[in-house]
Amino acid sequence: MKEIDELIIPDDVRYAPDHEWARLEGHTVRIGISDYAQDQLGDITFVEMPNPGDSFDKGAQFGTLESTKAAAELYMPISGEVVAVNTELAESPGLINEDPYFRGWIIDVLPTRPAEMDELMDRAAYLEFLQGLA
Amino acid sequence: MNSSSIRMTPLHDRHLLLGARMIEFHGWDMPLWFAAGAVAEHRVVITAAGAFDTSHMSILTVTGPGAFELLQFCFTRDLTACAVGDKGPLNPGECVFGAFLNEHGHAIDDAVVYRIGSDSFMIVVNAGMGDTIAEHLRFHCTDGDAEVTDLTGRVGKIDLQGPRSGVILGKALRDPDAVLRDLRYFSFRGGMEAGSPTTDVVLAAGTPVIVSRTGYTGEFGFELFVRADNLAATWDAIFAAGKDFGLLPCGLAARDSLRAGAVLPLSRQDIGPWPFINHPWEFVLPFSEDRKAFTKHFLGESVIKERDSADHTLPFVGYDPRKVSIHDSAVVEGPDCAEIGIVLTCVADMAIGRYDHRVLSIASPDRPEDFKPLGLSCGLVKVKERLTPGTRVNLRDSRRTIPVEIVDDVRPARTARIPIGRALSVD
Repeated sequence: MKEIDELIIPDDVRYAPDHEWARLEGHTVRIGISDYAQDQLGDITFVEMPNPGDSFDKGAQFGTLESTKAAAELYMPISGEVVAVNTELAESPGLINEDPYFRGWIIDVLPTRPAEMDELMDRAAYLEFLQGLA
Repeated sequence: MNSSSIRMTPLHDRHLLLGARMIEFHGWDMPLWFAAGAVAEHRVVITAAGAFDTSHMSILTVTGPGAFELLQFCFTRDLTACAVGDKGPLNPGECVFGAFLNEHGHAIDDAVVYRIGSDSFMIVVNAGMGDTIAEHLRFHCTDGDAEVTDLTGRVGKIDLQGPRSGVILGKALRDPDAVLRDLRYFSFRGGMEAGSPTTDVVLAAGTPVIVSRTGYTGEFGFELFVRADNLAATWDAIFAAGKDFGLLPCGLAARDSLRAGAVLPLSRQDIGPWPFINHPWEFVLPFSEDRKAFTKHFLGESVIKERDSADHTLPFVGYDPRKVSIHDSAVVEGPDCAEIGIVLTCVADMAIGRYDHRVLSIASPDRPEDFKPLGLSCGLVKVKERLTPGTRVNLRDSRRTIPVEIVDDVRPARTARIPIGRALSVD
């Protein structure tokens, strides 16, 4: 189990209280789970993902992560329409553990309300949030 | 249980240094998985070797002129005809798996009974069950000619499991040939005290050890018992010996998924306060050859009358690694969607996958090249009727419904019973 100072917390993404991250990449937003979340869940063994074209409001469940311990829901950090899913996760769900912010991304969405990005936590706020959980 | 009374094994500091995720398990703070993760730990026990700290298990001794009769009355195995292999009497140096039942034929706990000498036995029961089983045995020892001692906390135990376990243990022992030669499944050698009963079963540094060819993974391997104050040095010696053989420390998550794939029960989850019959472990009941009666009188023998009314406990295997949660009242739905039972265990065996309508393991000799299974859910259900292997049912909790297949067995190509000579010749 990682200590807080061992966690990777990049500053180019924004964080939701459920530990999803969101990164603005041009017109779309890429979504995944944080290093803290993958460390808590343990090995991810299966990912239930939405289909491109599905739309979700902020806070809605868009999938589940199966880990060796249990299943965990995935919630939308912002509202939007799914435009791509990481198909590599079907064969290699462990990418979420190995590289949660890059190869372990989960979906790309076209945001409905881009301003929702500003409501998410930046690195400093998320770090403080994690310290509050410890 | 409050946190001040939680118990730690002598390896607790080492587990934390190795980056273990810890969890409370029946009063003990135990590793759930280590840095490699539960999937790697599960697979390494099938392809190489893993070591588990199992010092949370409770260990009793029963000694004295009445010890044999006490166990013959309280334990489900007929000790005159239960030895693994020849079905002969349990001789000193042999051990056997069975259960302790109450007068209603319900399981109190399962156990491995070791015959140390003609009037001397060691019993390994589950974590937190030492007091219960010791009290149970004392209660039924009416003539007082057997003494029951609870050694919990005074004994350290390491399970070294996997096809390379023999080679690794050989490197850690002073005289591997004397200890391991022809060591049969469910037999053991050595003792935990210096000079007892033989002096040649010691680690390289001279530590006396019981080497038992048993385990809870379905794979080839050993359970090692040492005095608690020798445990840390024993763990270090095993890891020094395993350095070049891919040995990994393993936690309770891998222990649970490996045992489920081997269709071994978890006490208080797969067996418990219901009739101990109609399940995959009926071989521990002392059935006569025609299976119409028992070969001895024992506590709980009335369970034989429950055969027609008791639920059936059956193994299942799913189609991907998705699970239902037994903490979420997971139920079994029959072919017509009617509820027919409950889920006792649901985990994922991460070493198996379906190929060409069969379940194969990463150890199956006939697996295709580049077989990289994603794992399959598996476990045990308890249902009202006997379902034949191949029957499909659904498991449902509040989150999802998963289809599974009732089976005879789960993970193929297991190694627990291979001849030790073969295990000592692996590279």
